[in-house]
Amino acid sequence: MLLLQLLASGIQTGILYALTAAGFALIFGATRIFHVAHGATFVIAGYAFYECIQLGIWWPLAMLVSFVMAIASGVLMAIFIYRPIQRSEGSFFTVFVAAFGVSIAIQSLIQYFFGRGSVTVSSALTKSSKVMEGLYLAPILAVAIVVAIVMFTAVVLFLEKKNAGLGLRALSENPRLLEAFGLDSKSLTVLAFAIGSALVVPAAILTSISIGIQPSSGSRVMLISLAATIVGGIGSLRGAALAGLVLGIFENLVITVVDTQWSEAVSFFILFAFIMFRPNGMFGATVKR
Amino acid sequence: MINYILNLLTLATIYGIAASSLNVLVGYAGIFSITHAIFFGIGAYAGAQFALLVVPDIFLASMIGAVTSGVLSLLLALPALRVRGEYFVAAGLGLQMVGMTIFSEAHTLTGGHGGLVGIPAATLAGFDVSTPGLFLVICLVALIISLVVIRLLMRSSFGRALMSIRDNESAAESFGKNVPVLKTLAMAVGCAIAGVAGTLFAFNLAFVNVESFTLEQSILMLAMVVIGGVGTLSGPLIGAIFLLLLPAVLTFVPFIPPTEIGTVQQFIYGSLMAVLMIFKPSGIAGKTGDK
Repeated sequence: MLLLQLLASGIQTGILYALTAAGFALIFGATRIFHVAHGATFVIAGYAFYECIQLGIWWPLAMLVSFVMAIASGVLMAIFIYRPIQRSEGSFFTVFVAAFGVSIAIQSLIQYFFGRGSVTVSSALTKSSKVMEGLYLAPILAVAIVVAIVMFTAVVLFLEKKNAGLGLRALSENPRLLEAFGLDSKSLTVLAFAIGSALVVPAAILTSISIGIQPSSGSRVMLISLAATIVGGIGSLRGAALAGLVLGIFENLVITVVDTQWSEAVSFFILFAFIMFRPNGMFGATVKR
Repeated sequence: MINYILNLLTLATIYGIAASSLNVLVGYAGIFSITHAIFFGIGAYAGAQFALLVVPDIFLASMIGAVTSGVLSLLLALPALRVRGEYFVAAGLGLQMVGMTIFSEAHTLTGGHGGLVGIPAATLAGFDVSTPGLFLVICLVALIISLVVIRLLMRSSFGRALMSIRDNESAAESFGKNVPVLKTLAMAVGCAIAGVAGTLFAFNLAFVNVESFTLEQSILMLAMVVIGGVGTLSGPLIGAIFLLLLPAVLTFVPFIPPTEIGTVQQFIYGSLMAVLMIFKPSGIAGKTGDK
């Protein structure tokens, strides 16, 4: 039964990873910007929700605020950090260092105002009940699954059916050609950041309810998203989401074999192995670069 | 007070060595390592173990640190030869996280989370060199030797070949340069020098644990190189001094509440990284206008 219990918590962790990874993958796939400050967006969204609830704001409104804050932070970073760098030189590394700087700055700002410790939004959703002998589940798992399905369906439909979605896919393939056809790569970049940042919001809110969120959560989220994006295959949204899910489940199941402290290392070892032996990721074969 | 200043200078020197060694990878060979704190750490643990188990001779310990780090750099060379760009950065992250776990969990080698304590005072050929002043001199000598080695190497045909790989790998290959060997060597040299810095660091604190070798530390070293100026000899030194003195200077700013000083430092450090990358991507010592 331990295995089932671990599988359940693995799925819950995995869904969070899948959502953040999909956001990262979407941004990276469309714009080729290695958005390491994605974790900062996650923390902003989580704390925005927490603060609203603290202030006694009705929870759907709090969620709305959280969405607005996350999208705003992503879009502002795209406009004020990434765009000027890409205009001047835009080496991959310059972008990386700048983005890392931004996430350090945001993390310390949040630390300044909210403290270092983790904060939790209390909710009835996390109350576990006994489903069968040795298996305790909380309703939040179901909520997480539903939210993830809705978010993914919405994003996938948007990317496949809408013109803007088509534009985003074109942007990832050839930005110059896109400009030649009279489309605006700048506004499409902003769009990619908006959608990608919105995807982390449910994950941030679910985290703040279930295990609590802290200023340093961001770097972990960023690392996992990045790992999932690579393992899933760069450019593949589905790959990233699936890889996130698998990494989450794996991280929990591996506890049955090794000590807890090693579980994270195992995830990153998988990442390392993937890069060495299958750098195109799980779905890489179908993605042309 | 004088000891405080000496200690600050010693730290700046040690990080100067580390940043210069990272510059061999980043600036000359074009290998974007975000794993340097791990090699710094390997040097620190290896040197510390040597001092604890054999003899606390700083020269011998540094050599042990250098060799261990240099050999283990092959772990990073493996992905560096196969993949590039964002894939390599991701591989580096993977290695960084695995390395940190090993540092904090492999108790027999690293002392676990508590780290290695009670590293004996440094000696050199039997003389005690652990007083702050003498130790600073030792570190400065190590820094000068490292810089001379790096300069000589980069001025040699080896260095020119490396830079040609950095600028255009296919062209270098078609001119008959053995790219894998050159990259591996560059990495071994850079990581070996980082190992020396690590050993000095371990002696300086008389204590090592995983806290000094985290991802944040790797990024700090990277920031030193990038803020100072990639591919210049003086850049990493300027970056190291700048980033290490910043916290010290902020301690004297009156209106920051003392409990929040670390947070404010982090904020300034992070914002500086971003702002510098936007307005001066080639770094403080970097040439403007070209490329």
